[in-house]
Amino acid sequence: MLTVRNLVKVFNRGTINEKKALNQVQLELAPNDFVTVIGSNGAGKSTFLNAVAGNFPVDAGQIFIDGEEITRLPAHKRANLISRVFQDPLSGTAGSMTIEENLIMALRRGKTRRLRRAIGSQERNLFRSKLEQLGLGLEDRLTHRVNLLSGGQRQALTLLMATLQKPKLLLLDEHTAALDPKTAAKVLELTCDVTEQQQLTTLMITHNLDHALAFGNRTIMMHEGRVILDIRGVDRSNMTISRLLEMFEKASGSHMNTDRMILA
Amino acid sequence: MFSQIALGTTEQGLMYSIMVLGVYLTFRILDYADLSVDGSFTLGAATATSLIVGGANPWFATGLAFIVGNLAGLFTGILHTKFKITPLLSGILTMTALYSINLRVMGRANISLLGSRTIFTDFAQLPLMDEYGVFVLSLISVVFLGAVIYFFLQTELGLALRSTGDNELMIRSLGVNTDLMKILGLSISNGLVALAGSYVAQNQQFADASMGIGMIIAGLASVIIGEVLVGTSSIGRTIIAVLCGGIIYRVIIALVLQLGLAPTDLKLITSVIVIFALVSPSFRKKIVSLTAGMKGEGA
Repeated sequence: MLTVRNLVKVFNRGTINEKKALNQVQLELAPNDFVTVIGSNGAGKSTFLNAVAGNFPVDAGQIFIDGEEITRLPAHKRANLISRVFQDPLSGTAGSMTIEENLIMALRRGKTRRLRRAIGSQERNLFRSKLEQLGLGLEDRLTHRVNLLSGGQRQALTLLMATLQKPKLLLLDEHTAALDPKTAAKVLELTCDVTEQQQLTTLMITHNLDHALAFGNRTIMMHEGRVILDIRGVDRSNMTISRLLEMFEKASGSHMNTDRMILA
Repeated sequence: MFSQIALGTTEQGLMYSIMVLGVYLTFRILDYADLSVDGSFTLGAATATSLIVGGANPWFATGLAFIVGNLAGLFTGILHTKFKITPLLSGILTMTALYSINLRVMGRANISLLGSRTIFTDFAQLPLMDEYGVFVLSLISVVFLGAVIYFFLQTELGLALRSTGDNELMIRSLGVNTDLMKILGLSISNGLVALAGSYVAQNQQFADASMGIGMIIAGLASVIIGEVLVGTSSIGRTIIAVLCGGIIYRVIIALVLQLGLAPTDLKLITSVIVIFALVSPSFRKKIVSLTAGMKGEGA
């Protein structure tokens, strides 16, 4: 499904601030894999997701989706394959535009935008039924501007937008970190529902080790731009947070900044 | 006498509204302060007048003014997106280059159209149009262009343009080439500005190399005035707002002139209007918090 080979990204090359954000990252995702990604701050998790999404050119290595190489494609040309939900609820939606306008842009993800009226009654019905499934009462607010919604509502909307047109790969970058616990739980529940329903291949970054083990079928840990741990199957179901931390210390030779991770 | 001034001001206001519509597209929709406007306004006037003086059909000349405006916007857009020059500087570069180009187009610093055939003299030949021809033609143009832009902004392409100004990261992740959208927006915007320039020149029957100076500030002032007075609750309302803003701005200018201020003071007045409009929201907040603080102390 997703194949990443020897991916390298160096920031500020040749300066005193040189930082090897990705150091020969290797990863192979099977179809329907739901992989949780953990690691301390600066481990390269977000850089990795951004590289896969095409936000910047990488220095070396290759990225394939379904055997098709996408390493050199700009972000907007990968959009038909990949969709994303960002950490900041504001970044996944256009605040000055209405709910239905945001949804129609997502429905046309990766397609040529034409000079025709964007929204018809057919689309509106589709949006209403999809929004009903969120259970947030948004189905009656199609023509409201998105900046009137709460952070949680916006994030749920972003998740719906990301999956309205089934992507080959769904990237979730700590998409519940900025939400209050109750809303975060709701958005996570929606995430599980939709990934199961549509059988999506998913990469989810999280700082919550509980979530990392509870959701998905596989967990990888990153450290200093590498994947240092990759657990699944029985290993994973027998895993506990304290053992995970232990393994991290063994594999990386250092302590994880655990405060944020345990409390998260 | 008075009604004549009122009519003349409204006519001018309508023509300038076309320019304001263009400024709205970049300043509000794309969130891009595009200074090329100063140059492209004159470019439209220069193109139309030199063609007309050369014997061309005025309708054709007006259409061509729109297209050369498109090209000016295209140039600014390419400077910004392909060569990563900041929005302000890209606009200033185009504006400065256009100053020389406009003089080349005109061949001299100003061109008179006295006695020439223009779109307005043509239109005045229609029945009942001898007195109000300028007003009616300008009104038809403004309503038509406003409607076109309104419907355009509801199309798939229009939504992509709007979201480029709102949330570039998001719309790129949805597969839109935002560079292309910015170039498109700048191009349409400058086309409208140049079209307005050609209208104004044909109406006042002359074009001048410096007629575009300060146009961007006048455009911004009009956008802000319209938004404050009419409101921005929907795209349609905002478009009506900025078009009205263009007319109201001209009325304010006419009133100020009636008060006896010299026309050369206009740019100063315009700048003061814009500064006042930009400062007033934060100014108002300060006053509110200040009075709230005083009340708190009193209690």
